[in-house]
Formats: sequence, structure tokens, C-alpha cells
Amino acid sequence: MTRYTSSPMLRAVATGALAALLGGCASFSPDGGLDAVSAMTSARTGQDLQLTQAKHDSGATQAEVARLLGAPLTADGAVRVALLNNRGLRASLAGLGVAEADLVQAGRMRNPGLSFSRMSGGGETEIERGVMFDLVGLLTIPIRRDIEARRFQGAKLAAAMDAVRLAADTRKAWFNAVAAAQSAQYAEQVREAAQASAELARRMARAGNLSALDGAREQVFSAEATAQLARARHQATAAREQLARLMGVWGAQTAFTLLERLPDLPAAPRDGDNVESLAMRQRLDVQLAKLDAQATARALGLSKATGFVNVLDAGYVNTSKTGAPREQGYEIELVLPIFDWGGARVAKAEALYMQSVHRTAHAATSARSQVREAYSAYRTNYDLARHYRDEIVPLQKKISEETLLRYNGMLIGVFELLADARAQITRVTASIEAQRDFWIAETALQAAINGSGGSAAAAASVVSSAAGSVDAAAPEH
Amino acid sequence: MRSRRDFFTGAAALVGAGLVSRAGAATLPEAPIMSSAATQPPPPPPNGRPYNPVVTLNGWSLPWRMNNGVKEFHLIAEPVVREIAPGMKANLWGYNGQSPGPTIEVVEGDRVRIFVTNRLPEHTSIHWHGQRLPNGMDGVTGLTQPGIQPGKTFVYEFVARRPGTFMYHPHADEMVQMAMGMMGFWVTHPRNPAQHRVDRDFVFLLNAYDIDPGSYTPRVNEMLNFNLWTFNSRAFPGIDTMNVRRNDRVRIRVGNLTMTNHPIHVHGHEFEVTGTDGGWTRPESRWPEVTTDVAVGQMRAIEFIADEPGDWAFHCHKSHHTMNAMGHDVPNLIGVDHRGVAEKIARLVPDYMVMGDKGGSMGDMEMPLPDNTLPMMTGQGPFGGVEMGGMFTVLKVRKDQKPGDYSDPGWYRHPPGTLAYEWKGEPPAALRKQDAGGQSMPAANAPEVEVTVRKPTGHQGHH
Ligand SMILES: [Cu+2]
Repeated sequence: MTRYTSSPMLRAVATGALAALLGGCASFSPDGGLDAVSAMTSARTGQDLQLTQAKHDSGATQAEVARLLGAPLTADGAVRVALLNNRGLRASLAGLGVAEADLVQAGRMRNPGLSFSRMSGGGETEIERGVMFDLVGLLTIPIRRDIEARRFQGAKLAAAMDAVRLAADTRKAWFNAVAAAQSAQYAEQVREAAQASAELARRMARAGNLSALDGAREQVFSAEATAQLARARHQATAAREQLARLMGVWGAQTAFTLLERLPDLPAAPRDGDNVESLAMRQRLDVQLAKLDAQATARALGLSKATGFVNVLDAGYVNTSKTGAPREQGYEIELVLPIFDWGGARVAKAEALYMQSVHRTAHAATSARSQVREAYSAYRTNYDLARHYRDEIVPLQKKISEETLLRYNGMLIGVFELLADARAQITRVTASIEAQRDFWIAETALQAAINGSGGSAAAAASVVSSAAGSVDAAAPEH
Repeated sequence: MRSRRDFFTGAAALVGAGLVSRAGAATLPEAPIMSSAATQPPPPPPNGRPYNPVVTLNGWSLPWRMNNGVKEFHLIAEPVVREIAPGMKANLWGYNGQSPGPTIEVVEGDRVRIFVTNRLPEHTSIHWHGQRLPNGMDGVTGLTQPGIQPGKTFVYEFVARRPGTFMYHPHADEMVQMAMGMMGFWVTHPRNPAQHRVDRDFVFLLNAYDIDPGSYTPRVNEMLNFNLWTFNSRAFPGIDTMNVRRNDRVRIRVGNLTMTNHPIHVHGHEFEVTGTDGGWTRPESRWPEVTTDVAVGQMRAIEFIADEPGDWAFHCHKSHHTMNAMGHDVPNLIGVDHRGVAEKIARLVPDYMVMGDKGGSMGDMEMPLPDNTLPMMTGQGPFGGVEMGGMFTVLKVRKDQKPGDYSDPGWYRHPPGTLAYEWKGEPPAALRKQDAGGQSMPAANAPEVEVTVRKPTGHQGHH
């Protein structure tokens, strides 16, 4: 038990801490990390995040929101409004400031303290004066700064993930809202056809040409169509409100108008060959997992180097579970190597490192699977939408033409003509829904490549063993 | 060398022989093929016993070959395309290029040998409807003979013992084969040409098809819902007129191979039924008629002196048999006011047009129809639309129609004072009697039913 006073490792830590202390204090960045988040978001959504800092919540932002809401709203416009205006995202961005403050704090010594006590009793008075200096804090500054820097980086990734997810959700909501509004319009036409049938039936009954049974049958079509229209109208309202929530609009802003039609299908679907590698490069949750693996690698290295610095509780930065706030944290303690020379600690650090490596591999494997599934959905919905556009709708048109010819020849009656009109409208509505589903699948594919796989994909991950792309997560020594 | 075809001067549509095979050519008589659906004027018999030939409405008679005193005919059962009327063709099965097949004309006592070659995709046979013949020649598949398989030729041979009016048709898968048009007419002339002699002798079969509007092939699994009612597989306005000279004695022979009866009605004349399935009726058994019902599977010969000049309607009196394809479930819109509704429907169906609110007549409306679909009631007469289809034609009686001339003389020119005309004066007030008469067995609690008479006001023109 004589070696502890001359431990070279402890000396090294102490020297490093002093060097960092003398090297100057950490300071706040001019953008609070927002530029990096904005760049990440922009690369993935085509929309940057400028002007969204709470303290810069100027009239300019509101003016832009007002300008976007004033014209018929496009999908991109809706995303822009959401990125400018969604308070949930703003809260998430505010988390950046917290992380940066922690980082700056970590680079600073705790202030020295003075203590003074005066005790009196039994006729005696004792005065103690002391100067306290945070030696442990001094020693751990480099470690703390390193950890906080990674946490800040993690916060930026998390904020960008939020932004990308919000953009994706908003795009989906926009497609839903436009399609629902279109469907509601067609439901109105169906009702009009049914009402015409019913009205004709009433007049036939009045002229003595229709029995009560057949009359009631025609009326019930009309009554049903009215119920369908009510449902369709509510659907349109619900879809629009979902969009309004994501855009964070309220009051007069909710009077926005949407484009009347969904965008046309692209001439050709995108190629699915490189989506997995793209996702490995761009997915933020994968990057977050890598960052965490790097952090635990550093911790492992440190534990191996000293045996006496315990940073093992430096928490795995959770890929945020929806609804719950992200949990992160760490604890550093300096231990005196009297009874334990740190072997168990190193073993634990290695286990934790391997845990984070597996987590990273798991994130990568899930991401690859999600993106493959998303591409399948994208491609299927593209083909379906095109099938509706090029096959089903033209065939229905042909049916309607032929039906009219048969009506002309008095081979069928007006009720069959109207029933065909209803069938035609139903198929057109199905075609719109197929087009909507394509655009939603396209958005989901973008999210699977760029973000965190979207809300739906987050539930899909299960434990998998195969490691993906985790090279960057190797220990750094 | 004179071929059978030379007797059909003007019958350019009669085309080359359909020989069954080179090996069979030496023994098989020629099988002429007819490519036209027009009425072919009858040639006198080139050989054999003399007779007065019949005129097959929109059809023709089959030439024969004399072989050691036997009349040899060759029928080829085959798929054909028959023009039902201009603007509509049908994929049918028939004989020698047409459906129905050619009329076979023989003379009482003739020994007849008929070669039947099957070019259908399934076996067939021919039953000689109404003939007295050896049982083994009766043509009932399974009962009196095996079916004639595709590509095979069978020979039927018998003596035409009884003069009269007959038909031929398959007795093999007959529901399908008759629904597809397999049938033909047969006339056995009396040995003495002077007996039952008439100036014009028209023959045709009654037949019915179910061809979906827009399609070409009859539905064969049809029981009673036929939608095309035809004379010799032709529908008005595709049926030729019967053109006669005034005071001609005219005979019209009708055979019914549909699944329902047809009250055949002629305008302007009374006739007598002079022939039935069983032969000639005795003069003392005849009574005058203007309509005679031709039941399923029956033949009737009617005769009259065409002494009233003019264009006289001649048709089946079942009114839906003088229509072409029509909808059975078309709602009844008579008297239904379309104001407002029509505009609403037109918003959904831009080419919508109100029909049927004043009745079924489509008048002069010309609207596009499905492919290969005859309008329900068309045919233009000198005074406008005839509003007929199906089993309808015109008996044209003219004083200057030459004997043997079957060409259409055009529309009748009515002598002054013989044409209905419009009254231009004030219409008198109608006197109405309100008493509907007593009831012999009035119901105890009969509910009062109120029906309001609606009269067209003339202000309902939404077309
Ligand atoms: Cu009839």
C-alpha cells in the first residue's frame, strides 16, 4: 500500500486538468448549435430552421408564416410553416441551449468558496476561517468537457431528428388533408346522383309508376349517400385539423386554403438500389447511436488508462422514446485506489461499451430493414396509383361511355345510368386515395432514409444480432 | 360446262364450290356457298321434274346435281357471319355460308340424297322436320344415328313422299345449335305443278336470337329472353319487302323454330291457311283470317289474292317481336316530370338526355348506340319513322309489277282522296260518361284508389 502516492496516472489526470484550466474557459457559440441543426434539417427536408430561436421570434417569422398561409398552401409551404411555427419543435430546439449551457459550464472551474464559522459557548468563542477549492472539479474538467461536447452534439442530432420528423408528419398531413377534401367533394357528387335518383323515384311514384317498395329502395340510396357525405366531410375536417396542429396555427391562421389537387405522380419511380446506403449515411438515429458508442469508447479508454476515474454512468443518450423526455446524464467520481485497483470497473466499462456497440448495430439493422420496407411501400403505392390512373379509371370511363350508349338505346334505364355515375365517382375517389397513399409512402421513404424512420417505423425495431455499419464506433485508443 | 351457278344469273354472290376433299370430289356433289343476305330470285328447275319455285325471303335455294335419277344436295354445316340488318352482323352457325341455310326444293316422289359435311367444332345431325322417311334417316343423334363428328360427312337418302312445307334443323345439341341459327326451309312441290299453283310463293323461318348489345355472338343458354326476333335471321329494316303484282295469288309459308308462338298478321287482306304441318288443308276446312298463330315447331302456308294496291304492313302481332334489343327493366317514366332532375343528372352524365317520359318512342332522336346494336325501332317510311323492328316487313301490291319480278317498286303513291289527313277545324268538346258500370261482386271494404289523369301539356320539352 505504498504506491498510491506516486501513481503516474493520477498525476497525468491532474496535469491535464490544470492544463485545460490554464488553457482558458469554454464560451457560448454564436448560434447556440442551431446552424448545425438547421444544416442537418435542410439537407434532409430542403427547409432550414432559421429565425426559429425563441429570442429571435420576430415579426419577420410571423410575416413569413402569414405569407405562406395567405396563398393556397403547398406541401412545402405547410412544412415551412410547421418548422417556423410548431411550438413542440421550438421546445426541442430550446433543449439545445440547455445542452450548450452544460457544455460551457463543464469547461469552468467551480468558484472557490470561503467559509467562516463562529461558535461560542461556555464562555469561549471559536472562529474558523477556511478557503475551499474544488480540486475534484479541477481534475475532471477535461473529462466533463468531452462528455458535454458529445451531449451537445447529441442534442443537435436529436433536435434535427425532431425537425425532420415534424417535416415528414406535416407533409403526410398535407397529402391527407388535400385528398380528404377532394374525396369530400366527390362524396357530394355521389349524393347529388343519389338525390337525383331519389327525386326521380318520388316523381315516378307521384305519376303512379313506382311501387312503395321500389321507391323506398331508391330513397335509401340517397339517405345512405347523405351519411357518407357527412363522414367524408368530417374526414376532411379531421385531416385539416391534423395539419393545423402540426403547423401550429390557430385563430385566423386556421383559415388557410389548400391546393385543390394532389401533385401528379412523378413520371418514373425512384430507383431503390442505394436507399440502404443512403440511410446509413443520413439517418440521424444511426448517427446518434454511433455518437453514443464513441462516448462509451472514450469512457472505456479512460477507465483502462486510469482505473480510478469512474465515468461509467455517463448515460447512453437515449434515442428519444416518443412522449417521454430524453434521459441523459453522467457522473464522474475520482476514487482512491486503496482497496480496488479498478479491474472490475474496466470490465464493466467494456461491457457497457459492447452494449452501446450492439445498440448501434441494432439501430443500423433496424434502419436498413425500415428503409427496405419503406421502399417497398413506396414502389407498391407508385405502381398502384399508376394502375388506377392508367387502367382502372380509363376502364371505368369506358364503362360509363358504354353505359350511356345502352341508355341511349333504351336498353337500360336512368337508374342504372345514375348507379354507374356513382360507381365512377367511387373509383375516382379510390384513385385519389391511391395517389395520396403514394405521396405518403414517398414521404415515409424520405423519413426512413433521412430521419429516424418516422413515427410508424419507430415501433418496428426488435433485437437483432447482425451488426450494420458500426466501424465508426470502435474504441479510440 | 354449265355449272349450277349458271342458273343463278345475277346471283353474283354465289361463290365457288366448297369441296370437302380431293378424294371426295369425285363422289360428292358441289356445295355452293352464298355470301349475300339478299333475296335471290328463284330460277326454274334446270332438270328433274318441273315445279314453280319459291322465293326465300333474304335467302336462296340450294342447287342440286342429278345422279342416276337421284337429286343430290350438299349441305355444309359451318360457322357463318350473318348480316342481321345493315349495321349489325352476328357470328352464327349455318349452312353453306348463311343462316338459315338454303331452301331445299324437291318434287313429290323425288329420291333425294343429301350429303351433310360438318365443319362445326362439335358433332351435329340434321332432322328433316315433318318428312315421312325411313326411321334411320330422321337425324336424331343417339336415337337414330351417331352424331356427325367435326370433319365428317354423312349421307341422308329418302323419297320426298308428301308434298308440303317442311324445315330442317339439327337434333344434336339442339338448344345450342338452334340458338346459333342452324336451320333451313324445305319445300316439297306437288307432282303436278298446276296443283296449288300460285303466282308468288314466299317462304321464311321465324327465328330468335339473344345477342347482347355491343356483342356479336348469340347467347346460347337462353330459354325465353331472346332480344332479336327475325324472319330468316333478319330483323326489320333488314327484311326484304314482299313485292307482288295486283291480283296475284300469293302464298306465304312460315316455319317457326323459335321458342314461342307468333301471330302472323297481314294488313289490307284476308287470307286462308291453306297448309299446315300435316299438308294442304281441304278447302272446306278453311276460314278467313287476318292473323294466324304459328306455334312453336309449326309450319303454316297462308294464301290470298293481293287485290288491294299499296304498302301493307306484315308482321308478328306480339308487339315486342317488332322491336329490336331493348331493356326489360327500364323504368317507366311515362308522365314523369323531369324538370330540375334532368339538369342534375346532366351534371353527372354530360350527354344525358331525357327519354321515355312521353312514351317509348324515340322519334327522330339519333343517338350513338353500342357497337353492333340495332336501334330499337327504326326503318324510315315515306311519312317518317316506321317505329318497328324485328319481325316486320311490307307487302307491296302494285298493278304493274311484272311476273317474276321481285325487285322493290318503291313507296306506294296514294291516289287522291285515299290518304288520311289532318283535320284543321275546331275539335269538339269530348262527352264523357262517368259511370263505370256496376260490379257483380263488389268487395266488402274496397279502398278508394285515386289515380289522377295526366295529359301531356306540350310544355314538357326538355330534350
Ligand atoms: Cu312474334
